[in-house]
Amino acid sequence: MSETVHRWMEAYPELGSGPISTEPYISPEWYEKEKEKIFKKVWLCVGRANEIPKAGDYKVKRLAAADTSAIIMRGKDGKIRAFHNACAHRGNTVVTETGEETYGSSKAAIVTCRFHGWVYDAEGKLKQVPSEQRFYNCFHKEDNGLTPIACDIWEGFIFVNIAAEPETGLTEYLGEYAEHFAGYPFDDLNYGFTYYTYLDCNWKVAHDAFAEAYHVDTIHAGSFPNVFSTGLQNVKLMGPHRSCAVCLTLNAKPTPVSAVANRLAGASLVSQRGESMLPPTINPDKRSDFAFELSVLFPNTLLHISEGIWFTHQFWPIAHNKTLWEGRYYVKAPETYSQRWATEHAMILQRNAWLEDTATMEDTQRAMQSRAKLEQHLQDDEILIRHGAVVVDQFVNA
Amino acid sequence: MTERLCASGDVAEGEVFQVDLGDGRILAVYRLDGEVFATDDLCSHGDASLADGEIENGQIVCPYHMGTFDIRTGEATGAPCSIAIRTYKVTEEDGAIMLVG
Repeated sequence: MSETVHRWMEAYPELGSGPISTEPYISPEWYEKEKEKIFKKVWLCVGRANEIPKAGDYKVKRLAAADTSAIIMRGKDGKIRAFHNACAHRGNTVVTETGEETYGSSKAAIVTCRFHGWVYDAEGKLKQVPSEQRFYNCFHKEDNGLTPIACDIWEGFIFVNIAAEPETGLTEYLGEYAEHFAGYPFDDLNYGFTYYTYLDCNWKVAHDAFAEAYHVDTIHAGSFPNVFSTGLQNVKLMGPHRSCAVCLTLNAKPTPVSAVANRLAGASLVSQRGESMLPPTINPDKRSDFAFELSVLFPNTLLHISEGIWFTHQFWPIAHNKTLWEGRYYVKAPETYSQRWATEHAMILQRNAWLEDTATMEDTQRAMQSRAKLEQHLQDDEILIRHGAVVVDQFVNA
Repeated sequence: MTERLCASGDVAEGEVFQVDLGDGRILAVYRLDGEVFATDDLCSHGDASLADGEIENGQIVCPYHMGTFDIRTGEATGAPCSIAIRTYKVTEEDGAIMLVG
């Protein structure tokens, strides 16, 4: 066994090296345990604070894996709070949802249930009940506000925790992960796009497909030909979270159009720039082949940062074999037409790569459900997948 | 007799601004097509501040239940509002909006 080919197993021997069971990917019973032990217990990233910039702006996010929807609203005091989207009257949703994410704005910083007009403010207080005098003496407005959900912000990311009493605060939950990414200019790079779709696969199938670079040479031969080949560097496991650097080969020749776009935008994962906006914890050895940091913020958020670009994938379980995938891509807003063109070029390249990524997931799920293979075999550079499987197992069996 | 409500600049075109006179009277002051108007700020249906509402076609839309009032006359023009709100005569002079009467 050479040190170079099994370096991550040697660094993290506690994860083991054996095959990984496919059962947690295909079992409805296991998924029910994940809902209870993971998605209803840990902090979940539900958006960016700049999605709701003004007092009274709100977003409702469906969280199927936690059996609820969260109203996330900015109050007149500027503070963002979260509540279950459920009316104290007869349980209707207060904000009528139009999909997985529903956005709205109220100058008065209130939400009104459309069923009977009960009004709640951004602190969750029940402000008004039409015909209140017809309710009985046992009914008290002050006891019937919206049910709060624990909510906190890190680097502009909004997190909620569905547990009535979260076991840890957000800072403790993020731990070293927060320090690893602190200081990256997420808010300055706020121009981009979001893709989302439903995939007929387990959320971990989706996670796994994005949590390694082993697939790049094969499935991205079209969108990113011959660029990634030096594998993972700086793998860092931080509690339930994980991160690593993905490196690229510098001598790969971009197409003529890509070369022009890279020069203009500096927004593709395979372009090279001088000055760094990365925190000192990222690519600490200043490797010249560093492409981007690939990280998993447990359980379902993948955060990637690089020079001039960052992106996330989020995998929201809908059922044991159905997942909402949301991919978001951010760069600095272009200032010239040529930058705009170059940015569009980079975004389309990224879109193509994501379509290649998502293409495998439903196939994987169907094949796993055949139970022809009951285990999967992971190589050393698939360490993030192994860590993910071990952490999920620890939570479920806790 | 006139009483100062606010500065002209407090009320932008197409906007509404709340003025609390400190004696129990709270007014909503509007500017429509360059002209200023004032009504009671409190909705006659719920206990909402109309200054927190949006203006649409010369009407103020209450933020609580989307009922509406005609800004010029105070007439309730959209359910669930059915009781008119009081209007006030206002004038604008020397960069201030004044209550007349």
